[in-house]
Amino acid sequence: MVSTQLSILTISGSILIIATFSVVARRGFIDWLNAYRHQSIVLAGVTAIIGYITGIWEIYIAAALTLIVKSIIIPKVLTYVTRRLEIEFKIETNPYVSLRTSVIISALLVGLSYFLTQQIPFKSDPVVNVLLPVSMAQFFIGLFVLVNRRTVLSQVVGLLIIENGLFLFTMVLTHGVSLIIEVGIFVDILIGIVISSILLFRMGRTFDSLDVTNIENLRDD
Amino acid sequence: MYSMVEILVGIIQGLVIILLSPLITGIMRKTKARTQKRMGASVLQPYYDILKLIKKDEVISDQSSWIFRICPWVNFVALATAAFFIPLFLMYSPFGLAGDLLLVIGLFALARFFTMLASLDVASSFGGLGSSREMMYSALLEPALFLTIFIVALTYGGTNLSTLVTAVSGATLLPHPQLIFAAIAMFVLVLGETGRLPFDNPSTHLELTMVHEAMILEYSGKSLALIEWSQAIKLLILLVLVVNIFVPWGISSSITIPALGIGFVSLFAKISILAIFIAYFESSIAKWRLFRIPDLVAVAIASSMIGIILYYIK
Amino acid sequence: MIENLSLFQLVVFLFASGALLGLFSRNSRFTRILTFVPTMIGSFFTVIFSVSVILEKPFQLMVPNLLPFINFEIKVDGIAAFFLLLISIVSFAVSLYSIGYSKEYEAKKRTSVFGFLFNIFILSMILVVASNNSFFFLIFWELMSLTSFFLVIYDHDKEENVKSGLTYLVMTHFGTAFIFASFLLGYIQTGSFSFDAFRNSSSSFPILTKNLIFLFAFIGFGTKAGIVPLHIWLPQAHPSAPSNVSALMSAVMIKIGIYGIVRTVFDLSGFGLSPEYSWWGLLMIAIGSVSAIIGVLYAVIEHDIKRALAFSSIENIGIILVGFGLSVVFASFNLTTLSALALIASMYHTMNHSVFKGLLFMGAGSVVYATHTRNMEHLGGLIKKMPWTALLFLIGTISIVGLPPFNGFISEWLTMQALLSSYQIPSIILQISIAFASLPFALTIGVAAATFVKLFGISFLSRPRSETIAKIKEVPRSMIAGMSILAAACVLLGVLPFLGISVITSAFHISSQPINPFDTIILQNNFGKSFANLSMPVVIIMLLSIAIAIFGFIKVIGGKTKKTTFSTWDCGFGNLNERMEYTGTSLSQPIRVVFKTLFRSHTQIQREFFGDHKYILRTLKVESFTKNIFEEKLYLPIMSSSIFIFDKIRKIQTGKINAYLLYIMITIVLLLLFVRLSHNV
Repeated sequence: MVSTQLSILTISGSILIIATFSVVARRGFIDWLNAYRHQSIVLAGVTAIIGYITGIWEIYIAAALTLIVKSIIIPKVLTYVTRRLEIEFKIETNPYVSLRTSVIISALLVGLSYFLTQQIPFKSDPVVNVLLPVSMAQFFIGLFVLVNRRTVLSQVVGLLIIENGLFLFTMVLTHGVSLIIEVGIFVDILIGIVISSILLFRMGRTFDSLDVTNIENLRDD
Repeated sequence: MYSMVEILVGIIQGLVIILLSPLITGIMRKTKARTQKRMGASVLQPYYDILKLIKKDEVISDQSSWIFRICPWVNFVALATAAFFIPLFLMYSPFGLAGDLLLVIGLFALARFFTMLASLDVASSFGGLGSSREMMYSALLEPALFLTIFIVALTYGGTNLSTLVTAVSGATLLPHPQLIFAAIAMFVLVLGETGRLPFDNPSTHLELTMVHEAMILEYSGKSLALIEWSQAIKLLILLVLVVNIFVPWGISSSITIPALGIGFVSLFAKISILAIFIAYFESSIAKWRLFRIPDLVAVAIASSMIGIILYYIK
Repeated sequence: MIENLSLFQLVVFLFASGALLGLFSRNSRFTRILTFVPTMIGSFFTVIFSVSVILEKPFQLMVPNLLPFINFEIKVDGIAAFFLLLISIVSFAVSLYSIGYSKEYEAKKRTSVFGFLFNIFILSMILVVASNNSFFFLIFWELMSLTSFFLVIYDHDKEENVKSGLTYLVMTHFGTAFIFASFLLGYIQTGSFSFDAFRNSSSSFPILTKNLIFLFAFIGFGTKAGIVPLHIWLPQAHPSAPSNVSALMSAVMIKIGIYGIVRTVFDLSGFGLSPEYSWWGLLMIAIGSVSAIIGVLYAVIEHDIKRALAFSSIENIGIILVGFGLSVVFASFNLTTLSALALIASMYHTMNHSVFKGLLFMGAGSVVYATHTRNMEHLGGLIKKMPWTALLFLIGTISIVGLPPFNGFISEWLTMQALLSSYQIPSIILQISIAFASLPFALTIGVAAATFVKLFGISFLSRPRSETIAKIKEVPRSMIAGMSILAAACVLLGVLPFLGISVITSAFHISSQPINPFDTIILQNNFGKSFANLSMPVVIIMLLSIAIAIFGFIKVIGGKTKKTTFSTWDCGFGNLNERMEYTGTSLSQPIRVVFKTLFRSHTQIQREFFGDHKYILRTLKVESFTKNIFEEKLYLPIMSSSIFIFDKIRKIQTGKINAYLLYIMITIVLLLLFVRLSHNV
């Protein structure tokens, strides 16, 4: 029984990694939005599995919230806000590291996160054991996307990947903080997305571009 | 050592791959035609093509040398030899004692090497461009291929195909999450190795998009028949490998007529499904720009790297 | 069996006479025979000598106190004999080849001088491998470096040759300094220059000393072997030298660097390593993979045949080091069987590389001999003019790419199996890093295939790209004979792998049983099942029988058909000429684009228009450049900063005699102070 649980967890973790990669490997904004939606659906599934294994009902609510907020509302909001932006703002044409190299680097980051979590003494809990490195990997990959991409929209992607990673991280370690806090976090993300979207929109208007290097021009010197 | 019966079955397995391969190509072509709302030729058409081509006269370029002339033979001999190492419906092949998965890959490379040389031999720009693109593909696919072999060989204890397939049929896939990643990489590899979309369009004759066709453009008659046939063999070998490594159900473990029969029928069903799936997949996408292909290969490499990590850390 | 001692003396005598005899002759044809025939006989006896050492017992010779306090020691054990065997086989073939080839330089230079240097070069390599004393080792090492330097600049009328010779000289002395440091550390520990003393007391060396000795030896010998980033001399020196010398340098001399590394590791450990030394192996794997991938990527964009071959030597040295590094890692975790497997893999590749790289450099030499150009963009269509050279070059090409059924496949197969076996190492970090190291390794093999498709395809196949090709003819018979020897070795080592494996196993004392050359290679996994099998004889039989079967099938079914020769398909335009063919540069363009970060390649396009028309071109000139990232990022900064420092130092050199006297005085005072102070303590 335990071994079956373990396999289900491992496989779901693997699928989550694949979903994360499909976000990394995209160029266009709409593409990654779809990929993000899929990743969130997988994440919700994984959350539900955690709920099933630990037997805590609150986690199911978290899973449902994930499904609704991340796979429906956030993509809708972002599509709505960016609908009037020119297409060239939405496609990452010139990242610092090319797409293929960044896919390989992301794989190395997955390796790094497994390496780091080897030291953490939670060996007994299969959930932690399997999914902690996955959440770390998402965190790192998101961070790398933030570092690597030039357009602001892609950086929002990075932020969302990091957020997903952190969500999984807390879920794995605490088996669900209090539900209130979780709902709070979701609202937080939503507001964050809305605010950043408005900023994006303004930025597109002001600079006629969404390249983050433009922000350097705001410096006072 | 193996008994005479086993060796006989081994030879039959090899022959079945060689003889069945045009049928699989036919099935794929038919599927593609149907997805494009065409009737398409009969699934047996590749056989008719080969038989007809064998009887036709040949035209040979005046610039070519003996390299051009032996290339089809090298191609066929290398790929047909590779076919004998593959366990098909029996889970081992007696020829497994002589060579393993790496030898099969080596024979593929030998065939490809001669094709690339032959395409340069005729001194046309088509040959050059085909060869130059193929050089890039083959160089980039190599690491993904080797890492995928790494995962599979470690999971099942060997590059010896008989050991491997025997171990696969005894295992359940659930405790091996690394195989999911290996399967993703392997799928990309099959597309790349056999020149399917988005790597190469097997049915095009437009110089912007062709790779393999550009290399064999000068061939006709018997030589063309041999090359077409050996391409079909290569495709079938790769499909059999995918099927027998990732979905081994139904393969026969002993030499009895019913077991072998079940093995053959289930194998044929699985191969056909996979071939139809690939044809559907091809119909649903377009050929990629040449320099976006490395992105796809990078995905395969990354996937197999994660597979290796998952294999070691469990 | 002849006594080994007299055999050894005979060999030394033969090489010496080969060196000197030519000097007395005026007739050039006579000179060639007088020079190279003794070399051939000497090499032949060296083959016999090394085989008898491998099969029987080590050979030892000691002349006490040849120099004050230093014994002249010769010791040829199995390892040395293995490398002697490589040297002698290649030098036999190369000297046979040289009889014809040295005509190329006859008009301008004296063959006798060449013969002198050539013989001394081979002899010094033999003596380096044979010597058992660090002092004489260094003397012979220096002799080897100097003779090869003179051979590199043999054609010194060309300025680039002199320049590359100087780079070679500087780099090789950089390496020698490190070797010297490593020997000095051994001397400090033992108080003796003899390798025997190092061997016997190495177990009592402190760990730090051992590590330092290894590191210095690795840098020093690695410079000779051409590891990245110390490889910079190799792609300059090898093409500049006459091709028979480049064959020797690339096939044999850089292997002496490998010999040094192997020797150091064996002497320091006797292969009883503990896990804390596993970083030696990891370092070698890391440097090896980097060398392999860098070497092959620079080879694929190269359009100078010999430079491409030189870069490919760097690649192969990388593969050898990956194998040997694996062997050390396995040994340090006490996995003796696997360690032996990896050792066999790397030594097999060493042997193979000697054979096929010697063959390929000789082939390139034949091309240069016939066409007087190394640039493959000016070649093409040679296969029709030089059929034998083309066939032999093709054999070398297939071997080096690692395709069955030739020898390169065997060693690459063994190395891959060694990489796969890394799962038995009891450390997750090592397992994963070695698995990832197979990534560059596999990429190397893939790109190597592309490199040699380009090399063979552009220079030998398709239409001639310049008019000179029309006039050339096949090279003299002695050159073809020289190449055929090594080509035969390529085939033999591929078809009967146990021939090579048994040499290695008895040389390295892995197992003493005689082995049947028709055996199957069998590796077992943890569960005692077969992990991998390979039996090349069976594969050959299968290939042949399928070939016969399909030939018969096609002939019977198809019947007799006609073959018509017609011009290549030209889309109906007609007049397809050599300028429309793919060039070497365009052939490798996709790979250059994919790895553009490494090559720093950029393209310059100059357009000239008709008058005011903005779209109608009169001329279009496209130039594409690649830069060598190592020269640019590593060596140039070092060079410019050292020039800066030396500029500062030059200020000391004022030109006034009083100032110089002042320096002398300061030196003496400081020295005396030093002596005084050190006695006080």
